[in-house]
Amino acid sequence: MRVMHTKLPEFIDKMKQAVKKNTPQKNIAINGLENLKSAKMQSLRTGRIESAVEEIAKKDNVDRVELIVIPRVPETMHTVIVKGIDKDGNCDSAILEVINILHQTEEAYTSGCKNIEDRRPQIGRH
Amino acid sequence: MADLKYRLIPYGKANNIHVPINIALIDSKDIAACKISDTDAMKAVAKELGEPTGISIFDMDAVTTTSDGIMIPGAIIKMAAADNGSINPDFGILPMAEIDYSEEIIKEEPHLKQWDINYKGRKLFRGPNPKDKIIPVHNVVITGRASNNNSATEMMNIATMEEILLPILGQMQIMTGGDIVTGYTGEVISVGIGMTVKELYGRVFPTRQFGAGDTAHGSGIYAKTLKKSIPCIVADKSILAKYTLKALKAGMRAGVEIGCSPAVIAVSKAYGADVDIDKITPKALEELQSIGFTKEYINKKTEKLSEEEIIKRADEIIPGVESPSKIKSTEITQIKTLKVK
Repeated sequence: MRVMHTKLPEFIDKMKQAVKKNTPQKNIAINGLENLKSAKMQSLRTGRIESAVEEIAKKDNVDRVELIVIPRVPETMHTVIVKGIDKDGNCDSAILEVINILHQTEEAYTSGCKNIEDRRPQIGRH
Repeated sequence: MADLKYRLIPYGKANNIHVPINIALIDSKDIAACKISDTDAMKAVAKELGEPTGISIFDMDAVTTTSDGIMIPGAIIKMAAADNGSINPDFGILPMAEIDYSEEIIKEEPHLKQWDINYKGRKLFRGPNPKDKIIPVHNVVITGRASNNNSATEMMNIATMEEILLPILGQMQIMTGGDIVTGYTGEVISVGIGMTVKELYGRVFPTRQFGAGDTAHGSGIYAKTLKKSIPCIVADKSILAKYTLKALKAGMRAGVEIGCSPAVIAVSKAYGADVDIDKITPKALEELQSIGFTKEYINKKTEKLSEEEIIKRADEIIPGVESPSKIKSTEITQIKTLKVK
């Protein structure tokens, strides 16, 4: 079966390996995925991000790599599940609500950086 | 090269409040005088200021509506958010939609009867058309840490999470050098914000969601806490009284054509315009009651005052704003110019 999406732990491991491949003395810090316990990551972009991580790590002036994952759409809509649990641990009742969360865009993370190459496709494309 | 003029309330202390990001307001006539586009003007201001900034462009000859449906002269026609000297190309800038006059829209949005009576022939802008958004976020623009919300009437720094409320009438006072009040929103404004009217491409909602007499909050006693501790810059209450009276004189009624916000109810009562409690939904009434606007209070006859008296005594008649401090807007606003080409 073609694997179209990468397991979250595998994604993280791939990024670490992409740094170590040519520059074993360098490290990578990955931020923005801490809240995810299980997730499938788009494999097409996983490969391109591995490639980008390797490329950045190889630069002479680069001492360490940071990989930050933020929502590309800076207002994300979330379902909120309010659950009441009975004494046996079963869900007795629940209310579904929604909440929109505002996030900083990429400019907040690239302050002072003069070499930014935007390889993202237009929104709506993959 | 030309000199672009704009008004700036800079980040930091302004009278008795803290302004969380730069607030830059531009008159469209000043952009036209420079023969540049709105976008280029906004980008120039973004580059000049560097730090988180909310930017709005005004058409002072157009008209708009307050969230509770009062029509007022002047309108924001474009908004942006800027940080690190740039504007996000996908989410950093949005135009407001010009509303075409039609009999149908007056029927669907009866508060717009004010248009013909008080502002005939003037262009009308409120919020953006969702088609102008790359993806259906609310009426917001975001770049980096800066966020300019609800069609440029709330600005915030998402990193520090500090916010400021900028009701449109207060912004018009800043644009004209008029009197303003700085302070904190408090429970009355927190409740009042929810008393909206149905508008297509409205300031807060793109569709006709919550009508006059209803509340968008729908959160009972919690509504008064939602926005109660936010710094705000509002128009002097005499200005709010003047435009509310103008709407009442045009036949607008609280909870029927215009919203049932505490300010509208208070001015209506003082003017002797009955407020029909049956037009206020139970949810809206619950929120009003939580700040003392009980059924008994709303129904109780009070001394009818003249227009002049209401405007003169607006501070005691219209509730809202904690720790209020009245100043000339020019005391906290800088007139800036920058070279553009």
